[in-house]
Parts: sequence; C-alpha cells; structure tokens
Amino acid sequence: MKAGDKKSVFMALSKLGGISNGVKEYFKIAIKSIARRRVRSWLTTIGIVIGVFLIVSLLSLSQGLKNAVLNQLNMIGKDLIMIMPGDISNFTSLVSGDELSDEDIKIIEQTEGVAKVVSIDYTSVVMRYNNQKKTVLLYATDWRRGLDVFKNDVGWSLADGRWPAPQKNEIIVGSIVASEMFPSLRVGTEAVIKGRKFIIVGILNSVGSKQDDSMVGIDSNIFASLTGERTGAKQAMAKLKAGYFPDVVAEKIKSNLNENRKRQMGQKETDSSYTVLTSEKVMSIVGNILGIIQAVIIGFASIAIIVGGIGIMNTMYTSVTERIKEIGIMKAIGAKNKTITTIFLIESGIFGMLGGLGGTLLGVLLAKAIEIYFQVHPLFYIKADVSPQLILFSLTFSFLVGCISGYFPARSAAKLKPVDALRYE
Amino acid sequence: MEPLIKLENVWKKYKLGETEVSVLKEINLDIQPGTFATIMGPSGSGKSTLMYLLGLLDIPSEGKIYMRGQDVSEFSEDKLAELRGEKIGFIFQQFNLLQNLTALENVMLPMIFQQVPEAERKDKAMKLLESVNLGKRINHKPSEMSGGEQQRIAIARSLANNPEILIADEPTGNLDSTTGKMVMEILTKLHREQNKTIVVVTHDPNIAHYSRNIIHIQDGLIVANHFKNEEVLWAENGKTNLKNV
Repeated sequence: MKAGDKKSVFMALSKLGGISNGVKEYFKIAIKSIARRRVRSWLTTIGIVIGVFLIVSLLSLSQGLKNAVLNQLNMIGKDLIMIMPGDISNFTSLVSGDELSDEDIKIIEQTEGVAKVVSIDYTSVVMRYNNQKKTVLLYATDWRRGLDVFKNDVGWSLADGRWPAPQKNEIIVGSIVASEMFPSLRVGTEAVIKGRKFIIVGILNSVGSKQDDSMVGIDSNIFASLTGERTGAKQAMAKLKAGYFPDVVAEKIKSNLNENRKRQMGQKETDSSYTVLTSEKVMSIVGNILGIIQAVIIGFASIAIIVGGIGIMNTMYTSVTERIKEIGIMKAIGAKNKTITTIFLIESGIFGMLGGLGGTLLGVLLAKAIEIYFQVHPLFYIKADVSPQLILFSLTFSFLVGCISGYFPARSAAKLKPVDALRYE
Repeated sequence: MEPLIKLENVWKKYKLGETEVSVLKEINLDIQPGTFATIMGPSGSGKSTLMYLLGLLDIPSEGKIYMRGQDVSEFSEDKLAELRGEKIGFIFQQFNLLQNLTALENVMLPMIFQQVPEAERKDKAMKLLESVNLGKRINHKPSEMSGGEQQRIAIARSLANNPEILIADEPTGNLDSTTGKMVMEILTKLHREQNKTIVVVTHDPNIAHYSRNIIHIQDGLIVANHFKNEEVLWAENGKTNLKNV
C-alpha cells in the first residue's frame, strides 16, 4: 500500500470515527431536548405506545394460541383422525357437551380404512397427594386397545416408571403434574381421586402442550366406575390402515356417522353434527383463522401507529420553531445542513423508539398477565409467544416511524438561514 | 500582503414589500491577518449586517467576498458552514450558548462538527475553559452562571477549532462595565499573545479604544477606516509594515 493510499484510508477511517463520535453527541443533544419537555414528550409517544402495545400483546397471544393448537396437532400422527361430536363451524354444538355414543365408536371402527379406534374421555377432578389438593385433567382411554397408539402415534414416552396395566387402579401423570403441581410426587406412591386410592406408576415426558402435560391418565373402565359415566366418549381417535388417504377415510367416517344419526333421529344429512379432522385439515383451518386475526390486528395497530407518527411530526415542528435560534447558533459554529437534519431525525427517532419500548413493555406485561390468569383459572391453556423477532420488529418499526415522521420538520430546520435564525426572537 | 478577508464592492439589499432597501452600499474592506479591528456605528448603520458578511453567515447581493484569496461569494450554505467552523470564531452579545448543554459540552460542540475525536476535543475544551478561569465550572449549565461567565464560555467556544479570526458582536453589550472590561482584556491578550485576528462590532466608543484599527460605518457606508497610530502591529515574514490610510 502506497503512502498516499495509507493516508487517505487513515483520513477516511478517522472521519468515520469522527462521524460516529458525532452521532453519539447528537444522541445526547436529542435526549437532553426530549428530557427538557417531559410531559410533552410523554404525550407525543402515546400514539406509538398504543399501536405497539396492540401489536405485541395481541400478536404474542395469537401466536401462542397458534403454537398451542399446532403443538397439539403435531402430536397427532399423520395417519390419525380425530372425531368429535358437534360441528366445528357451529360453536354451540361444539360446547354443548354432546358425546360420541358407543354405537358411533362402532361405526367408526367399521369404516373402510380404519385399523383401530381409541375412545377418549376427560373431565376435571381434584387429586389429593401428600395433603396437597390440585385440579387435574383426568384423561381416560382403553389402555388395552389404545396404549400403543398413544405410544407410537401420539408420541407419549415415559420419563420414569412404567405403563399402567389395564383395569387396575393405576395412573400415569403428565410432566407438569409431577414437576409443578405436586413437586414431591414419586413413582410408586399413592394419590386419591374422588375418594379412591390410585398408585402412580409412571410419569410422562412433556408432550408439548400444557393441557396434556397436566393430565392424569387412567383406564377408561376405571374412569367409568369412578365418574359414573359408563358409556360414550368425548373424542375418538382412529388409526388408519396402511395405504389409505386420511382425507378420504375422514370423509367416509363422517358420512357413515351422519347417516346413522339421520336414521336414528330423522335429521337432514346436511345437518352435520360430527367433526372429523385430519391433522393437516386442522392445521390449515387454524392457520387460516389465526392468519386473518393477525392481519386484522396488524391493520388496526398500524392505524394507531400512523396516528402516533403524526403526533411526533407535530411535536417536531413545534420543537424546530422553539429552537430556531439554537439552530442558527449551531450553523454559525459550523454545523452543516445534514448535521441539523441528523440531530432532529435522531430526536424524532428516539420518540418513536420510546413509544416502541413503552408499548412493547406494556404488551408483554398484558400478554403474560393473561397467561398467568389462565394458569390460575384453567379454562383455556395459552402461553404468550413473545418472540425476539416480534420485539425487534416492534422496536425497529417504531424507530422508523419516528424517523419518517421527523423527516419534514428536520428538513425545514436544516433549510433555515443562519442570519434569520440568529435574529429570531 | 493578502488580506484574511476582503470585501470588494459589496452591496447587501433586502426587499421590503415592493421596495428594495440597501443596508450596505459599495463596501470595500480588507481585514489583514493579525489585526485587531473595531467596526463602529450607530444603531441601523448596517454594522451587524457587515459583521454577518465578514463572518460568512450571509452572502452579498452584489460584489465579492474573498477569504485568503478564495472567492466565497457564491459558496453553498454547507461550504460556508464548513469554512466558518474551521476558520471563524463567534462571540455574540447574547452569548448564544446552548442552554441544554454544560459549559464543557458547549465548548466541544464546534469540534464535534469538525469531527475531532472525543478524547482530543475533551482535552482541548478543558484547557480552553481553564484559560478563561472556568476550569471548575465545566459541568455547569449556562443558566447556572453569570453573564460574565457565560461570555467567557463563549470565548472559549469561539477558540475551539483554533480559528483564524474571531468576530465579536457587541461582546460587552449584556455585561456590566467591570465584566465588560475583563472580556475585552481577554480579547486583547489573545491578540497580543497569539496574534489572533479580531473584529469587534460595537456602538460603544469605550470598547473601540481597545483596538488600533477603527472602521466607522454609517447608513450602510464605510465613512472612515483608520489606525490610531500609523504603525501597524502585525508582522509577517519578519517584516513590519507601515500603513497610512
């Protein structure tokens, strides 16, 4: 490298170092200006705070919901079909408490392409262990017929202990039951449910959803005698025979069940009261619904953010007017137009970022609060997914909105003539 | 001998509604290096406008301005700002410090615009403030200081980039006579010890006493430009020059 080249590289580097040094000082100048008008600064950021708050809280909750549902679905192997009473498009029928009858289960089993059907029932009960009482989800299935489906297709595995024997007072517990609900829980010890003693024979590894990790697995025959519900099931899982397509078999199951119901109750065939789902179908439904919800959230939140940006623009114009003389002084002592623009752009960018920080903080707090609420009142298991990408996006976006809003005011500041600015009273 | 700043046939006109007003008319003025000059004139004489042109804060409507032989009359705002930052230091009647910044930060500001590295500018700013006896007040804001102290900060700031010329617009206008005297003595010392070129703009004849080169301006015209002694103070290349006006 020639001496001349070295010199010019050094000059360029020191200029860059100088510029970055300068930017640090401009940040200081901007922050001091913002701090001088505290109330006005807070009011300025409110619009952005609200917009970012909406984005962070609602998107994290909806993403958490999506993850929870998809996690559940991921459990289901590709060759499993879920059957539930009630129509998924008719919300009231879903929550009506209808059950699949024993006859329904038989029909499913006899449908072409179905290798095996496992019926599933569940209810909330209080479990007593070591003088502690907690509400758990009692999850009943026929161990004899269904255990290998759960092991192979649904992905259950043991962390400790063994699988329960059918028709015995033996239970297995989910990972959260052992780790969080009853921390002293050990395999081989006793728990009491509805006045009956059960031996805990195994603890499951986490299956990925909070709901399933909080369940206590019991044989359906025992469940029947415990709860008095001798027939029916809340859900059924059908395992496909090899070589059959899930969608095709699902349709067949649905039409068989509906035909039977029609025969029994004389209802129109189009009045479907069964939900038969393959995992792919559910994933795409969930994906679509949540996608629309998320788009709507982003739409509304963006409006709030734009309004917030206008607020920043207004404050910046006011700030420029108040500091006309200061701008003149800076120009007199050597500040170029670009420098003045940079100083004001940084100030408006900071407004944006403060709004972003405030909104993100509030959004995370709300999302976590809702999560905790549903932990205490387990109507619904939801975990807020506050991803680093979401936070980074919110902060960057709000900073950019701030900068864009401040562009025109900053330009008008830079255009001021030093003489006019210095003379301004 | 090339002047530091040369105004050649300079006019400054403003449009007031339909009429055009000439605030400066046919100004021819040389400021030689090492001069301590005072521009004197009553209110409305155009002395402030002349100061703005000498300080490259404004450009003439007609005529040319040269800085060290370079024609700056049609320079862009940015080029003028760069020149001002490098070569000109300002001291204003109202001090014109940035209220949000401390004394040290105010003095460092011109150096930031010239991309001087942080350690260097901090060191220089501290030395400058010490030289005006404000070494113990570097972290105070202008609002916490007296007028005299603020003007001393302004003087320190004006020296930040080691300018070739200092331009002071009524530097004692907002100060009592004792403090004003102190400020003028600082300027005199700078001229005597560092051979700084200084231009003071004032209406006060007492202030004019401090310099030998007096330029009188009235109604936009320079009516007199003389030295109190015939001997000129500056020396260049070992030669002293006499000048009769």
